[in-house]
Amino acid sequence: MTTVTSSAASLQAFDATTARWGRLTMIAGLLFALAGPAYLVLFSGLEVDQAKIWTALLAIAGTFGVLWFVEPLTYYPILGQASMYQAFMIGNISNKLLPSALIAQSAIGAKPGTRRGELAAVMAIGGAAMVHLVSLLILVGFLGTWLVSVVPPEVIAVVRTYILPSVLGAVLVQAVVSTRNLRVTIIAGVVAAAVVFLLVPAVPTLAFFGTAIAVITTAVLAWFLRGKSSPADPVESKPEDPADELTVDQA
Amino acid sequence: MNLRTVVDGASTDILSVANLPVLWICALGVFAVIVVQTVIYVRAARLAAPAAGMSPGELRTSFRAGAVSAVGPSLAVALVAVALLTVFGTPAVLVRIGLIGSVSFETGAASIAAGTMGADLGGPTYTQSVFAVAFMAMSLGGAMWMLATLILTPLLKRGDVNLRKVNPAVMTVVPGAALLGAFFALGLGELPKSGNHVVAFLASAAAMALCLGIAKALKRQWIREWSLGVAILTALVVTYFTVGAGVFPAA
Repeated sequence: MTTVTSSAASLQAFDATTARWGRLTMIAGLLFALAGPAYLVLFSGLEVDQAKIWTALLAIAGTFGVLWFVEPLTYYPILGQASMYQAFMIGNISNKLLPSALIAQSAIGAKPGTRRGELAAVMAIGGAAMVHLVSLLILVGFLGTWLVSVVPPEVIAVVRTYILPSVLGAVLVQAVVSTRNLRVTIIAGVVAAAVVFLLVPAVPTLAFFGTAIAVITTAVLAWFLRGKSSPADPVESKPEDPADELTVDQA
Repeated sequence: MNLRTVVDGASTDILSVANLPVLWICALGVFAVIVVQTVIYVRAARLAAPAAGMSPGELRTSFRAGAVSAVGPSLAVALVAVALLTVFGTPAVLVRIGLIGSVSFETGAASIAAGTMGADLGGPTYTQSVFAVAFMAMSLGGAMWMLATLILTPLLKRGDVNLRKVNPAVMTVVPGAALLGAFFALGLGELPKSGNHVVAFLASAAAMALCLGIAKALKRQWIREWSLGVAILTALVVTYFTVGAGVFPAA
């Protein structure tokens, strides 16, 4: 029995270490991420009107506020406590970190939700993070910055002016395909078109919150018009129900 | 570099404030925090491995599998990030798009923030002041994901929040609808700006649809990973030519 208790103790030590340092490092990352823009707003001499920041944040909250809570709730059963603090700081969870964790688990034959699976995920996300940091630093930090400095100004001007529609066209198609729900897609398309082409031109003061109005209206309509039988699946490869059973490490 | 001459709230020379050394230091701070976290986690996993029935070889395999499988997605993220350097500058792109957030949410948030000030991201109204407010607001928005993670993870670990008690339809219908509503409204909002904006949006959407179709037909996951970068580049190249040919009057 001594081996059982000592292994339980060392697993508890793992939980304690990752919870404590995961939280501390995440708070440190949060502070560094806010320090840059805060410097720009407060000390750079730009004399920014701070009320504008809160207005902007309010408009962002109306649009993405639901996801602030839903995403951590969704990923917890898959990631487990330790990896939560990794994933939400490193970012690109669904397109990079989750696949990395799953590939590592299958490479050593560990099931998600078990202790072996949890450790494999922690190691895999660590490996993914190192590759990601190096490629960002070299390709974006050095090569990208250099590229921007040598590309002709007229090309830069086109990129800057049209980057937003160039991103949003693709992102919209991606969102439609990954939601795989025709009903919600139609509701969202009609509501957004009504807001952008009818409501905002008619009442220009609403332009500030146009996106938030479209989001809230779509969510409410989608809720009341939802199919009785169709199990909508907003995020791809999200095994929600089986994952619910995975909390094996409850003390 | 003389700060006083560079910083001017009404100037549209975004990059001279977006690449200030202080912002670089904060961005590298986030990189350093992730490295520290990874080192702590890997050491904790090493100590706990025997108790979880995991050999040192399996730990190494997991780390390597995670690293190798992250190469493709990391390069794809880097490509997208480089395209956004002209709008946000290198430090903001590294932190917001490369790390913590994702392309879609951060550009969406920045666009919403600029909209609340009556400005267009990347357009002639996109001044240093607008950039500072947008950068601060998108960083605060991103911070909410981390705050939610910091608050919810311990609760989920203790079992205080039981996912099964949350109505499953709320967890699936509402986020999917919010996502679609947001990106429909943001995307359609680009269309009235100019004919070239319409071209960029449609080219991007078409390229993404084509990539996803090919990925599905050939069952190649890597095409899906690269689709966003390919779509953005395609849209920018197409738009560059329609702008150069003067098909539409200037925006």
